[in-house]
Amino acid sequence: MISLVIILPPILGLVSLAAKNRFVNRVALLGSASLLLVVAFVQWLGIEWFWLPDWLLQYFRFDSIGLYFFAVMSLVFAGVSVYSLFYFKEHHLTASQESVYVVEILFFVTAMSGVVLATHLALMWVFVEGTTLTSALLIYFEKRKSSLEATWKYVYICSIGIALAFVGIVLLSIGSESIGSLFFSNLYQHASEINPFWLEISFAFIFVGFGTKIGIAPLHAWLPDAHSEAPSPVSALLSGTLLNSAFLGLLRVQEIFICAHQQSFSDFILISTGFLSLLVSSVFMIRVKNYKRMLAYSSIENMGIIFIGVGLGKLGVFAAMLHTFAHSLSKMALFLTSGNILYHYESKKIEDVRGLLKRDPVTGWIWIVSALSIIGIPPFPIFISKFFIVKAFWLTGQSWLAVLFFLFLIIVTFGMSRAVFNMAFGESQLEGKWKPKPNVSAYAPQIVLLIVLLMIGTSMPSQLFDLINKAAGFFSAGSPQTQLIRLGTAVMAGQHLGAIH
Amino acid sequence: MTDILIVLLGTTMLYVSAVSRIEAYVKTLAFQGLILFLLVVLGIKEINWLNLAFLIFETLVIKAVVIPYFLLTVIRKNEIGREIEPYISQFYSLLIASGIFIFGFVAAFWSAGTGSGIKPLYFGISIMMIIISLFLIVNRKRIITHILCYMMLENGIFLLSLSVANELPMLVNIGVLLDLFVGIYLFAIFFNKINEIYDGSHVDVLTELKD
Repeated sequence: MISLVIILPPILGLVSLAAKNRFVNRVALLGSASLLLVVAFVQWLGIEWFWLPDWLLQYFRFDSIGLYFFAVMSLVFAGVSVYSLFYFKEHHLTASQESVYVVEILFFVTAMSGVVLATHLALMWVFVEGTTLTSALLIYFEKRKSSLEATWKYVYICSIGIALAFVGIVLLSIGSESIGSLFFSNLYQHASEINPFWLEISFAFIFVGFGTKIGIAPLHAWLPDAHSEAPSPVSALLSGTLLNSAFLGLLRVQEIFICAHQQSFSDFILISTGFLSLLVSSVFMIRVKNYKRMLAYSSIENMGIIFIGVGLGKLGVFAAMLHTFAHSLSKMALFLTSGNILYHYESKKIEDVRGLLKRDPVTGWIWIVSALSIIGIPPFPIFISKFFIVKAFWLTGQSWLAVLFFLFLIIVTFGMSRAVFNMAFGESQLEGKWKPKPNVSAYAPQIVLLIVLLMIGTSMPSQLFDLINKAAGFFSAGSPQTQLIRLGTAVMAGQHLGAIH
Repeated sequence: MTDILIVLLGTTMLYVSAVSRIEAYVKTLAFQGLILFLLVVLGIKEINWLNLAFLIFETLVIKAVVIPYFLLTVIRKNEIGREIEPYISQFYSLLIASGIFIFGFVAAFWSAGTGSGIKPLYFGISIMMIIISLFLIVNRKRIITHILCYMMLENGIFLLSLSVANELPMLVNIGVLLDLFVGIYLFAIFFNKINEIYDGSHVDVLTELKD
């Protein structure tokens, strides 16, 4: 299974690069996307099937949290690859340009699979750096002057950040000298033997490194530029999966702290940078003039919320996991739809886009609904996750922080909904030159995944709840409950989880 | 012997903080690669041929020859001579770098007292190399200097990893080297593009994207 995920997509990418044929490109792209989905599904069912030789197998494994992040990634990638068909058509790409796109995106996805599956800290680092290198060319895909600037900032800032993370890993290996290995399982098992001083100092470096990739404030400088300048499907992939996979890296390091009973240190850093991200995104959300940059700031905000959730522990971890899922899917829908808007209006400025609902009603409604989803209007699952985080504030006795949390959320909601509704309603200034409506692949991924979100929000299937719960249970301090509970509505969910506490 | 080499490695960082000719940076980079190669060879305790061959390849071939040569061709192609006036003048940056150099020795003394099994001088000088590289990146304006200082940062990290007794698995080492190599290659591609598209190749031209 794992060998399929790590080996097959890059091979398919190289085949499409060699063939330079439109049909082969599509087969490679959609084939890899469905392969990832199938692997995620089969692993979810618990079927083990290994092809790798033993010495390689010890480096890659599906654990509960890895499976969860992998599943989210494969869903987002499936949506993105379907949308890419529209992107190919709209930009009149030649077969060879298409194959360059396909090979880059497949290498990028493979690097992210590597991050999610790696069982060795330094190997995970290799793949995180790999995600930077493979996505750099994708961000520069449209070859504009501004995208060159964004790419340079992205690749340079992230490389420096990741280099510092490697310093952190070396420092951790000084502290864990008695353990003599950097496999996560060994680190967790013998966490109490790690010298606390080296552990904390290494966390500072690793946090800076992976935090740069996650785009947490104050390390977010590259994020709005790269997300706004990349092609829309790539922005969706960056926001929906790249941030998550780097975040998973940080979570695995956080678990070392929990095992070593040092988590008050890392929790403090997570919560304070989480609030800083909320502050930064709420300030910029009000004044931002470019709708793709607005979505990028929304990613910073949501990563901040997820950080706060993880920092709060227990119920917060569950909420953070649910939030990761819901954020990835909603943000993917938003970024893909922003591609449709860009197609119609040929401008990224919010003020240029008016009357979207009249020009293309389907795009307009997807835009509104996915914005409502990311803001967290019930019954979308982001409402549940934010609700749980607020509850976690109370449970940990920090209810005053919830006030601050609400304040930032209100500002973000105001800024975002003002922009979204202004764009959707009103009269368009650009009368006359109406482009034909996009084809079905420009709508289908968003609609399907928004329906999935809506179903999860109204009645979460017990299997999915179990998956999220197991992912949260990866943390020794995480899992809010062990027994399987079917969630009815959001309110019932609150009661259930509250009762268990 | 190794101590002298490590201090020499440290002084190369003082040298680059004072010079402004870009080719001098590249030569320093190659020299650092050579010292790292000697450190690897002198530091051998047990002979594991595969590991040794890999380390020699990494330091002597990649760090001392391939990457400097590659960057030199990029520099000559784009006809870049000198660093433009940095934010902090050469004299003060040398002064600051010397301060960090002293801090490196303090870190070495301190780490000798912690009782952990690291090699103190390796540790102190590598920390100093990392900090000076970061300082130079912040202080210098040319993008090519940023790439060169990134390589020096990587050399510092390599020295730091030599200070630790634990060895990383071979697979990881290969991955790290591959990342470094592809990274430098990509940097050079984008650097060439920036030189083509913008007038001038310093960071001040990259200010179009902002809120």
